[in-house]
Amino acid sequence: MTASPGQPAAEAVRAERHEQEPTHRPVIGLVIVIGFAAVLALAFVHLPREQAPLPAAARYATQIAIPKWGTTEPVNEVVYGSRGFDTFGETYLLLAAVVCVTMLSRPKEPRLGFIGEEAAGQKEQSEDDPSSGGGHADAREAEAAETDDDQRTDVITRRPTPDWQPLGQFGPERSRAMTVIVRVAARLATPILAVGGVYLAAWGYSPGGGFPAGAVIAGVALLVYAAFGYDKVARIVRPGVIEPIELAGALAIITCEALGLVLKGSFSANWIPLAPLETIRAGGILQVFSGSELVEVGTGLVLVIFAILGMGHDWTPDEADDQ
Amino acid sequence: MILVNYLAAGALFCIGLYTVLTRRNLIKMIMGLSLMESSTYLLLISMAYRKRSTAPVLLNPPNGLTPTQLAHGDVADPVLQNFCLTAIVIGVAVTAVFLTVAVRLSQHHRTLDSDRIRDLRG
Repeated sequence: MTASPGQPAAEAVRAERHEQEPTHRPVIGLVIVIGFAAVLALAFVHLPREQAPLPAAARYATQIAIPKWGTTEPVNEVVYGSRGFDTFGETYLLLAAVVCVTMLSRPKEPRLGFIGEEAAGQKEQSEDDPSSGGGHADAREAEAAETDDDQRTDVITRRPTPDWQPLGQFGPERSRAMTVIVRVAARLATPILAVGGVYLAAWGYSPGGGFPAGAVIAGVALLVYAAFGYDKVARIVRPGVIEPIELAGALAIITCEALGLVLKGSFSANWIPLAPLETIRAGGILQVFSGSELVEVGTGLVLVIFAILGMGHDWTPDEADDQ
Repeated sequence: MILVNYLAAGALFCIGLYTVLTRRNLIKMIMGLSLMESSTYLLLISMAYRKRSTAPVLLNPPNGLTPTQLAHGDVADPVLQNFCLTAIVIGVAVTAVFLTVAVRLSQHHRTLDSDRIRDLRG
């Protein structure tokens, strides 16, 4: 469905919006979903309702929160105490995801300036495997690229490749600052959000502590990035700074949990004397674990988000340019 | 009627599943997966709810109770709230991995249409 030249632009846009989107076996998908929905409905009818008594695990968590862990927050007791080992594993699942994103999003070579790997290796590639599609023209380009830096530039001028982009550009794409209204609002909101985020973990009365606090800290970094542009966060938000901090958080979690094994004979056991209830030190190792989790989650999310924002480097030349 | 919450979570999950099964755009498939994740958050929080219970916080308990008394009384299930909490963070991280793979695939194959990305087929 296309718009005629006489039609207004708005109508053309509206016509384009209703274009049929390609789908993949909708009937089979619908049958599978209906079957799955029937199974879910049967299962949900038998789930415990709002009048059901609490499960034994939940009752146990609420009853030991104060005497054993010295905290008035049973969710924190479950996250960092009773299920501490599980949270430990989940933390490293998060770390694994961060490593995956960092690996997938990194530029081709962590070096600054053009070095022409794509053209330089094609001579050897075509000798080793003539069917690899290197071609004689590519081999000649490879020789040219290997002989003289100036000729490399000529190669670039004649046929742009992904190597044309400067390599080693870690970090997000450059963004410009937003309007003065947004910048003023961000200046007011940023310190409040940052203090609120740290408070969530530090005082220990909030469910989850470090998990939501880390998300808030990542949000603060994003707010600064969006309002003021990349230059304002470039000194702090770069892998060389954030990655060591994240790994320090992971190391603190390992140390905190392992000391329970060494001092109390059980991994994730509390080895810090309990402080009075409703004080900043209440909860024993819960607070240490929560603070470390704040570092781990906050820096992990910042790394992931800014790695995705900075994925500007393309690995494959456009086929149209190859012709 | 917490059953309505359960059924809403099931409906959200099915919408997400249908999106993943039938859409060819990778971004929409990831949105479907995120919808499925969100449905589990709703289900976990709904399962944690108990009628006439308080939040699982033993600070300033109502009606002159002590925190210890409240711990033996009716509070929402803290274990399921904990599941939801960690699931949200892990869900964000996994979605980030999906998005990164989608960006790399789109750069490599010059398309987001999963039917046109067939290098792994056969």
